[in-house]
Parts: sequence; structure tokens; C-alpha cells
Amino acid sequence: MVNIEEHLKRIQESIIQGNNQVSLESCKAALEDGVDPLSILNKGLMSGADVVGKKFEKGEFFLPQLMLAGRALKAAMAIVEPALEEYYAEKGTSGDTGVIVIATVQTDIHDIGKNIVSSMLTASGFEVHDLGVDVPLKTIINKAKELNADIIGCSALLTTSMPYMRDLIDLLEAMGERNRFKVIVGGASVNPDFAARIGSDGTASNAVKAVQLAQSLIHEIRTTPGL
Amino acid sequence: MITHQHVVVFQPMGIRTEVVDGHQLRDAAKSAGVEIRSLCGERINCGKCRVIVQSGNFERWGIKSGLDHLSPMKAGEKEYWSRRRKGLIAQGYDPDFLRLSCQACVQGDLVITVPESSQTAKQVVRKGARSRAVEIHPNVRKLFVELEAASLADTEGDWGRLVKAIAQIEPLTRNPGDQQIDTESLTIDLPALQELQHIIRQGSWSLSVTIWEGREVIRVEPGFSDSLIGLAVDIGTTSITAYLCDLSTGEILATEDTMNPQVAYGEDIMSRISFAIDNDDGLEKLHKSVIRSVNELARKSCRQVNLKPGDIVSVVVVGNSVMHHLFLNLDPTSLGRAPYIPATKNSIDLRSRDLGLTKLNTGAYVHLLPLIASFVGADCLAVLLAEAPHEQDENWLIVDVGTNAELVLGNRQQLVCTSTPTGPVFEGGHMEHGMRAAGGAIERVVIGDWWKPPRFKVIGNPSWSDSPGSHNVLARGICGSGMIDAVAELYRTGIIQPDGLFTDEELPYLKRSAESVEYILAKSDQTVGGHDITISQEDIRQLQLAKAPLYVAAQYLLNSLGLKQPDRILLAGGFGTNIHPEKALLIGMIPNCPLDRVHSVGNSAGDGARIALLNHEKSKQALQLARSIKRIELPIQTGFHDQFTLALNFPHMVDPYPCLEGIAPVRHPDPMARKLFGDTIPDLENY
Repeated sequence: MVNIEEHLKRIQESIIQGNNQVSLESCKAALEDGVDPLSILNKGLMSGADVVGKKFEKGEFFLPQLMLAGRALKAAMAIVEPALEEYYAEKGTSGDTGVIVIATVQTDIHDIGKNIVSSMLTASGFEVHDLGVDVPLKTIINKAKELNADIIGCSALLTTSMPYMRDLIDLLEAMGERNRFKVIVGGASVNPDFAARIGSDGTASNAVKAVQLAQSLIHEIRTTPGL
Repeated sequence: MITHQHVVVFQPMGIRTEVVDGHQLRDAAKSAGVEIRSLCGERINCGKCRVIVQSGNFERWGIKSGLDHLSPMKAGEKEYWSRRRKGLIAQGYDPDFLRLSCQACVQGDLVITVPESSQTAKQVVRKGARSRAVEIHPNVRKLFVELEAASLADTEGDWGRLVKAIAQIEPLTRNPGDQQIDTESLTIDLPALQELQHIIRQGSWSLSVTIWEGREVIRVEPGFSDSLIGLAVDIGTTSITAYLCDLSTGEILATEDTMNPQVAYGEDIMSRISFAIDNDDGLEKLHKSVIRSVNELARKSCRQVNLKPGDIVSVVVVGNSVMHHLFLNLDPTSLGRAPYIPATKNSIDLRSRDLGLTKLNTGAYVHLLPLIASFVGADCLAVLLAEAPHEQDENWLIVDVGTNAELVLGNRQQLVCTSTPTGPVFEGGHMEHGMRAAGGAIERVVIGDWWKPPRFKVIGNPSWSDSPGSHNVLARGICGSGMIDAVAELYRTGIIQPDGLFTDEELPYLKRSAESVEYILAKSDQTVGGHDITISQEDIRQLQLAKAPLYVAAQYLLNSLGLKQPDRILLAGGFGTNIHPEKALLIGMIPNCPLDRVHSVGNSAGDGARIALLNHEKSKQALQLARSIKRIELPIQTGFHDQFTLALNFPHMVDPYPCLEGIAPVRHPDPMARKLFGDTIPDLENY
């Protein structure tokens, strides 16, 4: 029998290699050997994604590797997610990982980056509702309210479209709904300064970091009373 | 103790740096590699260190800049400026936004423009003009008219007398192709009429008249004059070039260029639009700065040949859609948002004085070529006028490379076009050691083999870095063409793999650290700054992201016409002068095409502007041409991403490049393609 560490190591490696067959099989094997699904998610899949993100930042990995890692995550989550739900049910805690509404804001039709983030979030177990491109602010907010989302993710590549992300936050304020959602922003020209200036809850420089950001925000929501 | 850091951006170099609170501005510039002149040694005498403080929000860098972000002026500096106020205004400066960089200390975020006169090295904008055969029929004609002197027996007014005389001589002076002057409806511009009586008498009843479009007298001069001068202007996002032309012979009398001063407000077209939207006076600032530049270029080019800018009677201006709008003081907002609608796509004729081009002849008209489609602008149309793909049987692919690239494909039967953003990499941006095509920029790179030292050439020096006396060849950074050369050579020699990753072998010029791998292009003793100039893994990634959309856009155009490959490829663009066809093929920024059928045509837009200036029929055909070109919308949402991913490799993940046989090792399809897409590599037909 393989020990837990080895299982997790193998899962992590499958994500780094971007091999969806191996990631599926190694997660299956780990579950069969009784490794708890939360460890598989955090110490296997997510720590693999973390390595991918670091390699991407160094330029060692590029878009193809990121796509493959996303797919490997998604394949693994197909069996890890049901196991997680079961695990939470047994523990009597909530297993919900969070609902995210994501969109490219109105006047912008670029979505390569948004799609990568969207699939990485889905792969990481979030319930993601991708509203597409050129989405009016009202539509984004209405959808978020309807689904009782935790996080709104907006993307804009064009610097001319970026102000709409500020408008979205202002609009939420005006509607008295700002505290109901965390708002994260992204796009080629978005930097942490901009994200802070418009009063968002953060930005990330790549898809893996976006997942980490979303996870930490969900953690904050779940552990802060009154949110 | 906390030390505050502020962001300071120096333009037009585009250098961003962080400065400790209270640091002297000129010193801060120096540390960032921006040398600002000084002759007096901070004694508030020479004024050579003057800089322009930009005010407003700059989304591009996420900062707000303003005068209050510098230490307040002390008495000495106050006095310096107040004594020179009038002179500065005459030179086109706004004195309220000038500071002496040796006196001002940084107290907040800033965007600072260092005027050319304050820079130690002049920016070299290289857009050389080439001769082309054009029939000379400009939209202005000059006639020498001798009038019957008025008498008590003949009391016709001066204007009526002039019209009558023109009607008599016009058919005699008209050559085939010249514009016919319709004397029935001929009018005269008011300033010309106001001078007319005086001019007629000064020339003893003989005068020279300049007539625009066969219907309006725009200039009158006493006696005989046959000088007919025009100006063709190409307003690029990064640089502006003006060609002073003799409209009788077609000869270029002088060429002048300058950085586009709007660079201070944003480097690419989108950030300029943002600046116009975010700041109340944004559009006005952008507009005025370009007008000031054109006035300046007119003045300087005339001075070269002892003419007066007042001799310029006809102007043609080309530029991309955003440059076009900003030149005309038109709100560019809707150009920045889907569905990207311009205020007008038609050609326009305007009186130069209405635009504030006050240095030119007061009656001069400015002609703007039409726009083809939202982002495929008048500059692209000018390229078409110059290269004339619509007169060919062969299918030509024309790629106008810049921060935004325009592509046109086709022949005399049909033409299709599209545009795609590529980012600032081709203009030297977004790279660790990147810089614009200015003096000291590495523009050519040859790497003989993986173990050989790299050789390079810098702008402003004809010698290669390994030639005798090469200690003079000092590099400041790498410009776009240098980057294309370098990456192509790194790929050719196997130092980087087809997927862009540096080889994991230990090679002589590779510098490895925990964070990154870099290739040393110029050693510290070969550089101005005394530190190695390198190409990092991240730089290569940036180039891959910039070149992939070009390839995909070309493929979409080819696909739309059912073509496998173009018969010929023309690479145009301000910095396209320097793109080496072989290197462009090696990195796969253009589709496969025999090497001897790929040409660098340089600043074709400027050539096209001159053609329109010299031939009124060509400029009228331009509108028809613009309307006949079909715009292909790139499907950004579906399929594009897969194609884009495949095009990231050098030269491509799967598409063959037989033209590179014998130049680069033949590569089999990258196994990554199979990993990503299985057995069914996505084909354009599927979308």
C-alpha cells in the first residue's frame, strides 16, 4: 500500500504534468486507500496548482501547460467533489466551496484570460456561473443576487473598459448590496493599485493565484460572523 | 522609519521608476537611466533641465500626477520662469507646467515629459522615405495672371477682373490629369480677398494665385511665383513624420520626425482613449499636443530648405483611427468600446487654421484620408495606396506592425482586412531591457552558433559589436526589431526550444538563477549603463504573446479567401523598416512564404500620404478603395484561443514552414499539440 504522502505527491505531480488521466487515477487510488478528500484537495491538487502558478510566473510554464493543468484539475475534481460532499456530510459541516459569478464587463469582448480563470475556478470546486462577454453591470449584479453568489469576478482587458469595474462597485454601494458580495477584478492592465483604488476585494496576476484569492475570500466569508 | 516611495514615469522614454520621497527629480531621472541636460550646475541659469509636469489620472500606471506632487517653487525658480513666460508661450510651452528638474523634489506620483531640448541624446525615429513613381497632379494649382489695369472706362471689381483673366488662361495652362477650374463657381477665401487689392497693385496688375480643388482661390501673391509646397504627415501612435514636398516636381524637400507627444498620456491607443475619457481636459490636451507637433514639424522642415511654413498650401494627414480622431479633436470614446464606431469614416478636407495649424498658409487645406473600418485606419489605407495590392493579380498579404497591427490580404478582385492588438513588445515595451527605436537600441542580432558570442548592432552606429574599434558600440537596451532578431536567432541555434523555453543545457551565455534564466546579449562592458543587457524567459513569453495573434489574424484572412498561403508578404510599419524577413518567418509572426517573397517595405504609410498629396485622383480613389475592402471580424470568443495557443510556438506548433528548410532544423509537430487537442487539431474550418 502506498502511504498518504506518496499519494498526495503523485496527485500533485499529475497536476504539474497536466495529465488528466493520471490525476483522475491517482485521486481514485488515494480515495480507495482512505486518504481524506480535503487533504487530496488542499495538499494534492491545490499544492500542484500552486507549483504550476509559480512556474508560470517564472516563464517556465506557459499557456499550454496552464490549460493542461486546468484540465487535470477538472478531471480529478469529478471524483474528488462527490467524495468531499460525503466527507462534509459525515462531519456535519458545510462543504460548499462558494458560488462565483464571473463576466467580462460591458464594452469589452476579450475573454481568453477570463475563460482560463473560469475553468480553473470550476476545476477547483467552485460553482462558477460564467456570463460571457460585454455583460451589462445590471445583469451581473442581478445574476449574483439571484444565485446568492459569494463572489463577483469581473474582467476587462481594454483600459477603456476598466472604469466599468469601478462603476460596478459603486452601483453595488448605491444599491446597498456591497457587503453582500466580494468583488474581484482582473485583466491585462489591472494591477493591485487599481484593484485597491476602486474598492475591490482584490486581484490576481494569474489563474492559479485567482483560485487562491477566491479560496481565501470564501474562507473569510465563512469564518467572519455577519457576512 | 517608513520611507515613502513614489512612482515617477519619464516620457517619451516610457521609463517607470520608484523614487524615495523628497528626492531631487533630475537625480531620480539619472538613477532610472534618463539623462537630463544641465549646463549651469543647478544655479538656475541654463534651463536645460526643464521638464513638463503632466497632470491628470494615468490609468496605464495607476497613478495621479500633478504639479502639487513636486516640492513648491522657491523664489529663484519662480523668478526664472516669470522672466521667460512670454518666450516659452511663443515656443508652444505652457509655462505653468514647467519645472526645473534640478530644483524640484518628488513628493508624489508623477508623469514627467522630458522635452527633446532637455534630453542628452536625440530620439532617432527612423522612417526613411523612398522614391516612387507617381503622376504629379496635386489638389492645388498655381496660375500666373496678368490683369488689364482698371480705368474709368473699366470699373470691374478686382475679384471679377481676376476671375475673367483666370477663365482666359486656365484652358491654356491645364495639363491632362490636372484639375479643371470652374470659373463660373470659383470663390475666394476671405483672407485672400482681404489682401487682393493690395497684392494686385503691388505686383503692378500681375499676380500668382493658388487654387484649391479647382474651386477656391486660397492664396494670392504679387507678381510671379511658381513655388507650390505641400506637407504629408504620418501620425503614428509612437512617432510623427512629416515630408515637405515640392508639389510641382514631387520631390521631397525635407523630412522631419518627432516622438508623438501624446505618449506622455498613454503609450497605446487604448490608454490614450482612457486619458481622454478620464480627464475633463484630456481630449483637449491630446489634440493640442499633436497640433503643436505638426506646427513644429512644418516649421523645422521648412527651415531645412529656407522656406517659410506659410508657403505650405496643401497638407495630407494619415493616422490610425484614434490618431485621426485626436488630430481632429473628435471624441474617441466610442472607438474604445464595442462595436468601435468612429465619428466618420469619410475623407475630410479642413481649413488648416480651423485646426490651429497656424504656422501654415492661412488658406491651406488639410486632407484626411478615409478610415477603412473601426481600427483599420487611414494609415493602413495609405499603405495600400503606396503598395497597390488592388492592382495585382497575385494575392498579397500586407502586415502593418505596431502596437496595434493591421492586416490586408487580396488582389485586384477583392481585399479583406482585419486588425489585432499585439501589445507594446514590438515597440520595445514590456521587456526588462526593452526600449524604443532610439539611439543605442540594439536593432540587429546575429548568433553564429550556440557557443559563439552574440553580435549586435545599435541604432546610431554603423559598426557591429565585434568589429575593430567596437568598444564604441555601446548598447542602452533592445528595441522591437532587435528583440525579433534575438529571439529568432536563439530559436535557430537551439538555445530556446520551439515552445519558447530556454534549453536546460548549460550554455556559455545563459545566466541561471533561482528565479529565472537569461541570455546575455550584451556584456556590461558593452553597455551604456554598465550592466548586462539580457533577454529573459519572461521577455520571450511576451514576444510569443505578441506574435501569435498576428499569425492567427493572417490565417483568418487567408481562410476567408480560401487561400493556403499568400503569394507575397509585405511587412510595413515604422519599425518595420528593420524587420528582417527571415527572422519574421523564424518566429512565425507571418505565415509560411518563400523567403524571397517576403519584403520589408518600411514606412509605407508615409509614402501613401505623399502619393495622396501629389495626386488628387489617387486620394479620391482612396475612398472607393476603402469602401471596397471587406472587414473580417476575428472571432475572439470561439476558436481563436485554440488557434492562438497553437501559434505560440516558434514558428508554429503544427503548421509546417517549408520555407525555413536549410535555415532552421526541421521540427516535427510539437507533441504538446496532441496533448492539448488529441488527434483532431482544431482547424479554422471548424469555427
